Amino acid sequence: MKGLEKDLRRLVPKERVRTDPEDLRAYGADATYYVRRGNPDAVVLPETTEEVSKVLRYAFGRTIPVTPRGAGTGLSGGATPLKGGIVLDMKRMRQILEINRRNLSARVEAGVVLADFHRAVKKIGLFYPPNPQSMTVCTLGGNVATRACGPHGVKYGATGDYVLGLEVVLADGSVIESGGDVVRSSAGYDLVHLFSGSEGTLGVITKIRLRLLPMPPAHRTVVVACETIEQAGDTVTEILAGGTLPAMIEFIPQMAVVAMNQYIRPPLTTQGQAYLLMDLDGTPDQIASQADHILGICRRMAVLDIRVIEDEKEAQSYWTARSNLGAMLLTVMKKAVNEDVAVPRDRIPEFVRGIQALSATLTKVVLGIGGHAGDGNMHPTILYPEVSDAAEDEARATIEKVVRLGLSMGGTVSGEHGIGFHKAEFLSWQLGPTQMELLKRIKKAFDPKGILNPGKLWLDGR
Amino acid sequence: MLDLGTYRDMMVKCSHCGLCQATCPVYQEDQLQTHLARARVDLIREALLDKALAPGRRFREVLDRCLLCGNCARTCPAGVRADEIVAAARSRLYGGKKHNAVRRALLKRFMRDRGSKGLLARAGRIAHKAGWLPEELPPPSPEPFEKRFRDRIHASGKMRAKAAYFVGCATNTLYPDTGEAVIKALTANGVKVLIPQGQVCCGLPALAEGDLALAQEVVRRNVSVLSACEADAVVTDCTSCGMMLKTKAALLLPEDDPLKPQALALAAKIWEVTDYLANLGLVSAPSPMAVNWTYHLPCHRGWTPTLDEAPRSLLGEIPETERIEMEYPESCCGAGGLFFLEFKELASALRARKIADIRATGARTVLTQCPACRSFLRTQLEGIRVAHPISLLAEALGG
Repeated sequence: MKGLEKDLRRLVPKERVRTDPEDLRAYGADATYYVRRGNPDAVVLPETTEEVSKVLRYAFGRTIPVTPRGAGTGLSGGATPLKGGIVLDMKRMRQILEINRRNLSARVEAGVVLADFHRAVKKIGLFYPPNPQSMTVCTLGGNVATRACGPHGVKYGATGDYVLGLEVVLADGSVIESGGDVVRSSAGYDLVHLFSGSEGTLGVITKIRLRLLPMPPAHRTVVVACETIEQAGDTVTEILAGGTLPAMIEFIPQMAVVAMNQYIRPPLTTQGQAYLLMDLDGTPDQIASQADHILGICRRMAVLDIRVIEDEKEAQSYWTARSNLGAMLLTVMKKAVNEDVAVPRDRIPEFVRGIQALSATLTKVVLGIGGHAGDGNMHPTILYPEVSDAAEDEARATIEKVVRLGLSMGGTVSGEHGIGFHKAEFLSWQLGPTQMELLKRIKKAFDPKGILNPGKLWLDGR
Repeated sequence: MLDLGTYRDMMVKCSHCGLCQATCPVYQEDQLQTHLARARVDLIREALLDKALAPGRRFREVLDRCLLCGNCARTCPAGVRADEIVAAARSRLYGGKKHNAVRRALLKRFMRDRGSKGLLARAGRIAHKAGWLPEELPPPSPEPFEKRFRDRIHASGKMRAKAAYFVGCATNTLYPDTGEAVIKALTANGVKVLIPQGQVCCGLPALAEGDLALAQEVVRRNVSVLSACEADAVVTDCTSCGMMLKTKAALLLPEDDPLKPQALALAAKIWEVTDYLANLGLVSAPSPMAVNWTYHLPCHRGWTPTLDEAPRSLLGEIPETERIEMEYPESCCGAGGLFFLEFKELASALRARKIADIRATGARTVLTQCPACRSFLRTQLEGIRVAHPISLLAEALGG
């Protein structure tokens, strides 16, 4: 793109405008690298809202695509610059501007890393629950843009439930502030939650106001080994129906436990076909009564084994292993594609059975099932022992069947990863033509020239 | 043998999850994806194996701007050892000829005699006095460690173990006080210390410059010398030497090298000194010391899982000392061996953050096992002592 570098360097200091082929390649994809890559023309690393605004005003004037990016850990390709143009790496906007203890709220820049934020609020006894498994590196801006969630969803909900307000730079460079430090607002359309999950297609999120909770005084990890995958699914539903809400309930298949054992000390026995990894939180009394209740249900379900982990370090090793699971699958398989269909929680056993039946029909790829069972957000995962065209065909057909299965149960195509390009063609299956048309009209209102993250949410990107 | 071609399968194991962002010291400062393991690995594959990218100035910068600390490898769930891949790529691209002949000759000389002998040491002292060297490089000690201690030093009291001491170049030439403390702390706790003659530089500086042949040469020397020594363990005070001997030395030798089995056996015996003593347990009770200290964790720490806890627990046994944790003990100080000479701005920025973190603790002593960190931090910490953790223990043992 002629003159682009020179123009951008007039707007942003030159060392923060990158156009060398090495840099452009580094920004060509997120964690969906093996699915598809883009070729940006420039990478800009803004440090202020004003710089973002200048870049957008310029891009709007010349109709240049702009793809905002956080830590590039997305699993749906939201940060992949499919149509070239400018990538805005937001990670340099990383100030925690305020933690307001008296209002239980915080104000941060979009590039703040989630783990840093967790640490900062914990230090003063507060709690920010969303914990997507890339939490050591992912950004709050990216979390809001995808409505990311993680295992805490079962008890505490997703990122969207904690967003109070946003500063957003619109397509033409104008800056708006939506919402505020109030925990409720009935003032017209809820733009804050329209931008949440908009994946950079409506504007660039630069600052975020978040709601916080008091830190639960204690927590305890419990591991349950189940004889079959179906039993694990049934047990989750029984626990929820029984009135106990663990802070996290993760559903982990045997194959994953084998991989996770490289982190877990001492390693877990692998006699079960599936495992439930739970975290209970609250006061010690509350935890004890929750544990009693859950152990009672598990015994009634005749699970293989139940362990309450007393040692904090050992418990942490389970959660670290769980966070690393996605990438760890590549130590045993050639390729892995992680889906995130969510179903109503009472349909989990049925969904799990459906996945098992589908899995039995496959020859080129393996279909595994795990995920945040507590909130119905499952992660059916396609694993490739070998990569070939035939495997790719079977994988694509399988993903489609998984999505249809989830939708037939009243589920959603994406519980937390977002649509990006990876699930773009499935979005209309869920929403239908009338809602898709409405979405497109909303997009047009915010981004008349279609410069914001084109190619995402629906395939033609407009 | 650290041949880039053999890493292709490992390279494509990178899932691009991006978790390496959490622990890469360079990325944490630069905040640029290009300077992150997942991008480096791709770029190396594209430029040097697939030849899809011409390896120009920017590529070399991406390749050089890596500390080889291996923290990314330790973080990587898929087991991609990007530090090895970077070292192999440097070896392939530079073939030992990254710098001009004078600098190469100096490095070679230094690595073979650890800079402590003859002209080189004298020249170093003169250059230092004249102010020709960066202030971060301390003057060579008038009396190197190897002149003061040789052969064997007996354990005081009943002998519990026998350890060979690998004396790194920095301890030998710049910081013999650390070596003295190592001897004191080990012998006081029933460890007989053997100092094998003929040991040379660990080889990391050569590896970092892509000079595989020179690195192999010194590795072979050290492996022969250290293997010939009948010791239960080989102890080093330097985390970088430890990393080199434990994780890289055997890797550098070809499969059919006669010393390869010995290099592998040696790797299993390598210990960082505080880790070794923490594991062995103290038998000599340290005296109380009213000292408050903070600990800076060197980047070259991934080679042993207990390295970060060892100095803390060991010094915790000294009555009346107070440990004050800094906010980010693991963040890089910016030195990176001689990395700071090449990337001054990056190094200064990293150091400024570290210094602020240290000062915020109010501690009067900063402890770290890495001599490069020590010398790089020292110049900005007037009035604050910077030393190896073993020195504090040795003092408490009456050393």
